[in-house]
Amino acid sequence: MKFTQHQLGPGVRLHLCATDKFKTLTCKAFIQQDLQPWEAASTALVPLLLRRGSQKLPTTLDIARELEELYAADFGSDVLKIGERQILEFHFQMVDPAHLPQSGKLLRRGLEAFWEIASSPYGDGSFHEPYFEQEKHILAQELEGLVNDKRTYALVRCTALMCAQEPFGIYKYGDVETVRSLANSDVYGHYQKLLGSYPLDIFVVGSQAEQAAEVLSGLISGRAGGIELRGPQQVAVDEPRFFEDNLDVQQAVLVMGYRTGITYPDADYYALLVGNGILGGFAHSKLFVNVRERAHLAYYVSSAIEGSKGLLTISAGISGEKQEQAVQIIQEQVREVQEGQISPQELEQTKLGLIRSMNSMNDNPSGLIDRNIIGIVHDQLRSIEDVVAAIAAVSRDDVVRAMQKVQLDTTYILRSSPQKGVGHGTN
Amino acid sequence: MEQIRLPGGESIYSGYLDNGLAVLVLPKKQFLRTYAMLSVNYGSLDYKFQLPGEEAVEVPPGIAHFLEHKLFEEEEGSVFDRFASWGGSVNAYTSYSQTSYLFTTIEHWQESLVYLLEFVNRLHLTEENVEKEKGIIEQELRMYADHPDHRIHSTLLENLYHEHPVRLDIGGTVESVRRITLAELERCYYTFYQPGNMALVVVGDVDPRATFELVRRSYPDRAWSGQKVERLDPEEPSGIVKPWAEEQLAISRPRYMLGFKHDPIWQGEELLRVQIAMALGLRLIAGRSSAAFAQLYEAQLVDDSFSASFRGHPRFAHTVFSSETDNPEALHERLAEIIKQLQAGGVEQAEIERLKKSFYGMFLGALDSFEYTANRITAQYFEGTPYHRYLEVLQQLSHQDVQAALADLLDWERSSVSILRPVNHHG
Repeated sequence: MKFTQHQLGPGVRLHLCATDKFKTLTCKAFIQQDLQPWEAASTALVPLLLRRGSQKLPTTLDIARELEELYAADFGSDVLKIGERQILEFHFQMVDPAHLPQSGKLLRRGLEAFWEIASSPYGDGSFHEPYFEQEKHILAQELEGLVNDKRTYALVRCTALMCAQEPFGIYKYGDVETVRSLANSDVYGHYQKLLGSYPLDIFVVGSQAEQAAEVLSGLISGRAGGIELRGPQQVAVDEPRFFEDNLDVQQAVLVMGYRTGITYPDADYYALLVGNGILGGFAHSKLFVNVRERAHLAYYVSSAIEGSKGLLTISAGISGEKQEQAVQIIQEQVREVQEGQISPQELEQTKLGLIRSMNSMNDNPSGLIDRNIIGIVHDQLRSIEDVVAAIAAVSRDDVVRAMQKVQLDTTYILRSSPQKGVGHGTN
Repeated sequence: MEQIRLPGGESIYSGYLDNGLAVLVLPKKQFLRTYAMLSVNYGSLDYKFQLPGEEAVEVPPGIAHFLEHKLFEEEEGSVFDRFASWGGSVNAYTSYSQTSYLFTTIEHWQESLVYLLEFVNRLHLTEENVEKEKGIIEQELRMYADHPDHRIHSTLLENLYHEHPVRLDIGGTVESVRRITLAELERCYYTFYQPGNMALVVVGDVDPRATFELVRRSYPDRAWSGQKVERLDPEEPSGIVKPWAEEQLAISRPRYMLGFKHDPIWQGEELLRVQIAMALGLRLIAGRSSAAFAQLYEAQLVDDSFSASFRGHPRFAHTVFSSETDNPEALHERLAEIIKQLQAGGVEQAEIERLKKSFYGMFLGALDSFEYTANRITAQYFEGTPYHRYLEVLQQLSHQDVQAALADLLDWERSSVSILRPVNHHG
C-alpha cells in the first residue's frame, strides 16, 4: 500500500493510494503551523465553526443532511499537536462510490461537499457572528472540561508543567483566557492564511483515488504558499521536579515525564521506539508485568513516546497512598532497560509487536494516512516497509544506547488531598 | 458450513462443531490482519442461575468480569507472552451478557487461534492468584468511579430498575469483588464455559472451510456437560424506582441523562426490527440532521456530547438520552416537548428515507472494521437477531413504524432522570 506524490501548487502536496481493498473512499488534509499560544486557540476554534455551516450549506442541519444523502459520508475536522507544530486536519470519508448507485456523480458531489465545508464557512468576510460567539463559548467550556477525564487531564497538566517555558507546553486547543479574547476578524484572517499559505498535504485512499485527485485539484486553487516553519526546541534536563494537584477522586493518576533527546530524524529513533515498547508499550512490557501483575498497584500502566519533541511519558492509575512504591518500581524498570537487562524474548516480542502494528496500518485507510503526519512535520516520509526494516534491525545495544539518553524531568500526581483522604471501605 | 451473502460482495460462513460451538467466519480478501474472538454467552447479568436437577445458585456480582481477568493466568508462562511471541496481541472484555477473548495478528494466525481455544478452556486458580486479582480489579472499579459518563449511567440504571441485574455495574462493587471465592469462580466457569454456550468469530483473509476444520481438530476434547443452564432473572416491576436523582463529582459542568425502561418482549427478527426502528427514531431527536438538535443547540441546552441510544436485548431494554448542559431542568423540559411532538405524529417520510440511505452506507462501511463486525456478529448470534437480515429489515421499515416505536416505547411513566453536578474543587 504505497502513496504516490504530486505537487498540486505552491505548498500543496497530494498523496494518492489507489486500492479496491476498502469499502470506503478516505481523504484527509493537514495544514501545519508553528505551535504558539494565540494561533493554537484561534485554530482550535476553526473545526467547531466549520461544522456550523458553509456558504452553500449554512447550518449544521444542512451539512448533516447532505452527508446523509451521500450514504453516511463523514466530514470531520480537528486540531493535532505533533511536537511543536499545530496541525489543522480535515477528513472526509464515504462509502466507495463504486458500491453505490450513480457512482460517478456521487464521487464529485461528495468531494465538492468536503471542500465546501472545509474551506467556505458560512459568513461574509468573517465567520457568522452568532456562530463565532457560541463556538468560542463551547471551546472555553471544553477546555474547562478537560478535568472530567482524569487520565487525560493528568497527562496534559504534566506536559504543561514540564514544558512551561517551551511551545510544547501549550495545549493543542490553546488556553481558556486566549480563547475568550479572540476576535472574529482576526481568527478568520488567520484561517484564510492557513488555507492559502501554510504547507498543505492531502491524502486520498480508495479505488477511485485518481478521479478523486482530479476533482480535488480543480477545487483547490489560488494558493500562495511560502511560509517557512521552525523545528522543535530541545531542552536539557535540570533537577527533576515534582508537582501535585488535588481533586476529589477515587483513584490517583501518576504521570512521569522524561526527555529522550531523540526525535524522528535521529538514527536512534527506532531503537527508542523499541526501548519504549520493552518498558511499557505492551501487556508483556516491564511496567505492566511489574506494576500490575507482580505488585498489583494499578489496573493501567503504560509508557508512550512523543517522537517529534523527544519525550517519554509513563502514566498509571494507582491508589493515592501508594505513590512512593509505584514511583520506585517504575524507576527500577526504566533503569533495567537502560542497563540492558532485557531478555532476548522481551526484545523479540516487542519488535514483533511493533512490526505487526506497523503492518496493520495497511488494513485501515485512516491509519495508513495518519502514520505519515510525523513524516510531514519533519519532511521525511517513510514507507511502512522501510520502518519495518528499521525496527527489525534494532539490537539490544541500540536500545541501551537510546534509552541511556532518557532522563526524568517531571513527576506529577493527581490525587485527593491528604487531609481529606479517600474512603477505602465499601463503595 | 452455511454461506450467508452480504451486500458489497462478502459472505459470512457459519457452522457448528459436534460439541455445540458456533463457528462464524468472515473472509476479507487482501487484508493482512486476522482477528478472532471466542465469546461466552455469559456476562454480569448471570449471577443467579440453575442447572437441571440442582438447587438455584446466587453468587456475588462481578464474577463474569473476574473470570475474564483470571483466564489470563496460566500455570506456566503468560498468555500475553505467548501471543506476543507470534507478534500478536490479545485482549478480553465483559459486558452485561457476553465475555469475549480476542486476538489480532498478522503472522501465525493458526497457532494463535489454537492457543486462544486452549487458554479460554483452561482454568488455573489458586487462593493466592484470586486474592491478588482483587487489588487490580479494585483499581479498575475506582477508575470507572471517577468517570462521569460511567457514574451517571450507573445511577440512571439503578433508578430505572428495581431488581434486574442490569442495574449493577458489570465489574460488581469493591465490596462484592472482595467477597468472591475460588469455589464460586470455578462453579461459574464450569457452568457457563461450555462450547454449546460459546461462539467463535474469525475475520481475515482466511479460507472458511479450512478454518472450521482447524477449529474442529484442535478444540479441546473434554467431557463437556452439555447441560443447559437456566438464568434466573428476578421479576422486574413495571414502574421505575425514582424519577429524578442528583449526584456530585469533580467535573466542570452538569451532565443530564434521561432513561426510559421498556419491557423486553422481542425475539429474533422482531428484536432487530425494533432496534433499527428506534435507531432511526432517535436520529430525529439527537441526530445532527434533526430540527430538534438544531433547536436545542441554538438554545445552548446541549452541546456536541448530546446523544441518544436504544439498548434492546432479549432480557432488558431501555433508551437513554445524554448531554452535558448548564441547565438540566430547561433541557429536560424542551426535550420532553420535542419527544411528545414526534410521538404525536411528527415523523416525516422524507426524513426516514434519507436516514435509511445513511444507515445503508454505515452498514457497508462498518464491514471494514474487524473489531466492530466481529462483536456485532457475536452479539447478534447470542441474542438471536439475524445480522445478515439487517439491510432487508431496514428497507421494510416505514416512517409509521418509527413513529409507532417512539410512541410505544418512550413512556413517561417509566422514565427517570439522572443529573451529575460539579463539586467545588481546587486544582
